[in-house]
Amino acid sequence: MKPVEQQGTLPTPGELCQLMQAVAAAHDRSAFAALFGYFAPRVKAFLMRSGLSANMAEEVTQETMLAIWHKASYFDPSRAGVSTWIYAIARNQRIDRLRRERTHTVDPHLDPSDEPELPDSGEDVALVAEREAQVRTALAALSREQAAIVHLSFFAEKPHSEIARELGVPLGTVKSRIRLALNRLRALLGDET
Amino acid sequence: MTINHHPSDETLLRHTAGTLGAGPAVVIAAHLEGCETCRRRVFEFESLGGAILEGMPLEPLRVDALARALERLDLPSLSPRPETIVVRQHHPVGLELPSSLHHCDVGPWRWLGPGFRWSKVSLPGNSDAKVLLLKGRAGLKLPAHGHDGTEFLQVLSGSLFDERGRYYPGDLDEADTDVDHQPVISSDSECICLVALEGDTRLHSALGRLLWPIVGF
Repeated sequence: MKPVEQQGTLPTPGELCQLMQAVAAAHDRSAFAALFGYFAPRVKAFLMRSGLSANMAEEVTQETMLAIWHKASYFDPSRAGVSTWIYAIARNQRIDRLRRERTHTVDPHLDPSDEPELPDSGEDVALVAEREAQVRTALAALSREQAAIVHLSFFAEKPHSEIARELGVPLGTVKSRIRLALNRLRALLGDET
Repeated sequence: MTINHHPSDETLLRHTAGTLGAGPAVVIAAHLEGCETCRRRVFEFESLGGAILEGMPLEPLRVDALARALERLDLPSLSPRPETIVVRQHHPVGLELPSSLHHCDVGPWRWLGPGFRWSKVSLPGNSDAKVLLLKGRAGLKLPAHGHDGTEFLQVLSGSLFDERGRYYPGDLDEADTDVDHQPVISSDSECICLVALEGDTRLHSALGRLLWPIVGF
């Protein structure tokens, strides 16, 4: 078996969606392999950035990719784009793994993916695509510091101290910097409230 | 139902990112069940997570990573979990609980002060999470207090008010170090809230100091 071909450039959201649907509908292994090439190296990088060791990130990436295969039929393009859905699975797998490490006993009721589904917001595929595009535009429009704050908020267990360290700002002002960054994000996303 | 008090964006982002503690996460999940505005916000933050994932540099995997994954695809289940039936202890508390509490144990009402009761909410696998239900009779004045860690309070029934506003069912109050307040329960009915305390409340939080001798956390 040849090693994974790592894919630096992602195809369009529509093409990713077709790959997901091929996995869901036909258990298409080559579509899965393509998704693996695109996402596994990114998921591993994301997990390592979130504090997992290289070995554990490799394992949790495996579990994430397997969960994508098994849960493919739950992928719903009227709820989220492919990257967003995979992000959520990787996050849940990470939480699940950390809980197991902490407690040593696995409670079968703890799988975060078994948690009750939130009611649907009644969006459709076009609206979801629009939201996904808006979020990317907004992220690109943030200042360097604000983008760093958003990234660190995603990665860090203790974001305040890491933001203070990485940006060289006093801990006391971190809270207001975060608020400013998220207010700017909210304005860019066109949310009124 | 109009909801006027929501979690901060920072809290919703941490909830989305999975970095919020298990205790506060249960309270935020209870809020999300009733709040479409915040659900949309969480969807936006998940999209943000997707965008950040797309932008990650590529971290090389082991050379046999894909082969391993393909081999495991046809195995029946990725992590077999025994189908044990765990019966959660739910003492009746007089109202329907949010589904985020379905996997938790909910203890009986216990005395906390005149007209003031509490019930311990235990999260399986998270014995250090500090979550509880509080019930106060109509008109009860809670002790004035400040905060050294964040307190998350979701109103389940009745209402209460303080210097900053009035809180009805579905509202979530996030009180951090900036907040000094004296909540008062509205005079028309008793009030039940779901509360999570963040951090070492025994040492740092006024509400924690109040609860610690009785509640044990």
